[in-house]
Amino acid sequence: MRTTDTAAVTQVYDVLIAAFPGRPTDQAVDDLQQDVLAQMEETNPRGVILDISEVTTLDSFFARVISETAGMVELMGGEAIVVGMRPSVAITAAELGFGLDAVETARSTDHALSMLGVRVEDADGEKAEGTNDEATTDSTKLDADGTPTGPASSPGGGR
Amino acid sequence: MSEDGGQTDAFETAVTVLQSGTVRVRSEDDILLARQEARAVAEEIGFSTTDVTRIVTGVSELTRNMHLYAEDGIMKWREIEAGTDRGIELVFDDDGPGIDDVEGVLRAEHSTSGGMGRGVQGTKKLMDGFDITSNPEDGTTITVRKWT
Ligand SMILES: Nc1ncnc2c1ncn2[C@@H]1O[C@H](COP(=O)(O)OP(=O)(O)O)[C@@H](O)[C@H]1O
Ligand SMILES: [Mg+2]
Repeated sequence: MRTTDTAAVTQVYDVLIAAFPGRPTDQAVDDLQQDVLAQMEETNPRGVILDISEVTTLDSFFARVISETAGMVELMGGEAIVVGMRPSVAITAAELGFGLDAVETARSTDHALSMLGVRVEDADGEKAEGTNDEATTDSTKLDADGTPTGPASSPGGGR
Repeated sequence: MSEDGGQTDAFETAVTVLQSGTVRVRSEDDILLARQEARAVAEEIGFSTTDVTRIVTGVSELTRNMHLYAEDGIMKWREIEAGTDRGIELVFDDDGPGIDDVEGVLRAEHSTSGGMGRGVQGTKKLMDGFDITSNPEDGTTITVRKWT
């Protein structure tokens, strides 16, 4: 899906999704961290999803940047969730002794979005009953592959 | 000075070299090239996905160290065979300043970069054989082996 070696930060309603490229240079990893923090400041999202599903090699440098980024997002008042760690990557990171213990993780982007209180509508178009007790009451709708459908406002707003 | 790290067994095995290659490492792009090449070789040898990940992660750690601490270095890879066993041997060789506290580094208790200090010790855990020689005159040479 992503063929570039640069990172991409996109916004889905009031959540940022930062997709780490599969084989980034250290510089690209640092740049992504800067981008996430800059957009964090600009749009004040409720959370940031750090998508590492393309990442096949998580070394100590990369692991440190991810934990640091998650820590900074939290300091700035957002929630950070790491998504998509491959089993072989998780095994290797645990053996190396830098499992991302302190970082919240989720199985999939959908799961992470729902952890962040973004409601994902199921394929039948049934609305899931909300247990969202956040002040924000937008009913955010996403179809199965995470593409926004239907009208909704973006509270984090204007880019 | 040479630290055997208690895993010399793997190096007492006489091996036949089936194929070999070299990657010069002096930039971040070279780290990626070294990883890519190690991945291709490891896959060809028939390592499992998890073992390929272990090998490439070790390559990432040790090539980054060469680039960071010695500026310039060479990674040699060898496809090796001993009896019916197949494996990979990787040598990371630089002429940098050497490591002044190899024991500390092997206990993951010594980092001069504010890094996690786990690169060398962690890589040793991921491999079947590990040998390090380091001094200010000759720089650092780390040899690792892994068997399928
Ligand atoms: N090739 C090398 N040449 C000189 N010093 C090195 C080399 N590799 C590692 N070191 C030293 O060993 C320390 C530990 O390395 P490592 O285990 O990779 O952790 P980190 O890189 O996070 O500090 C480094 O901080 C550095 O001082
Ligand atoms: Mg290191």
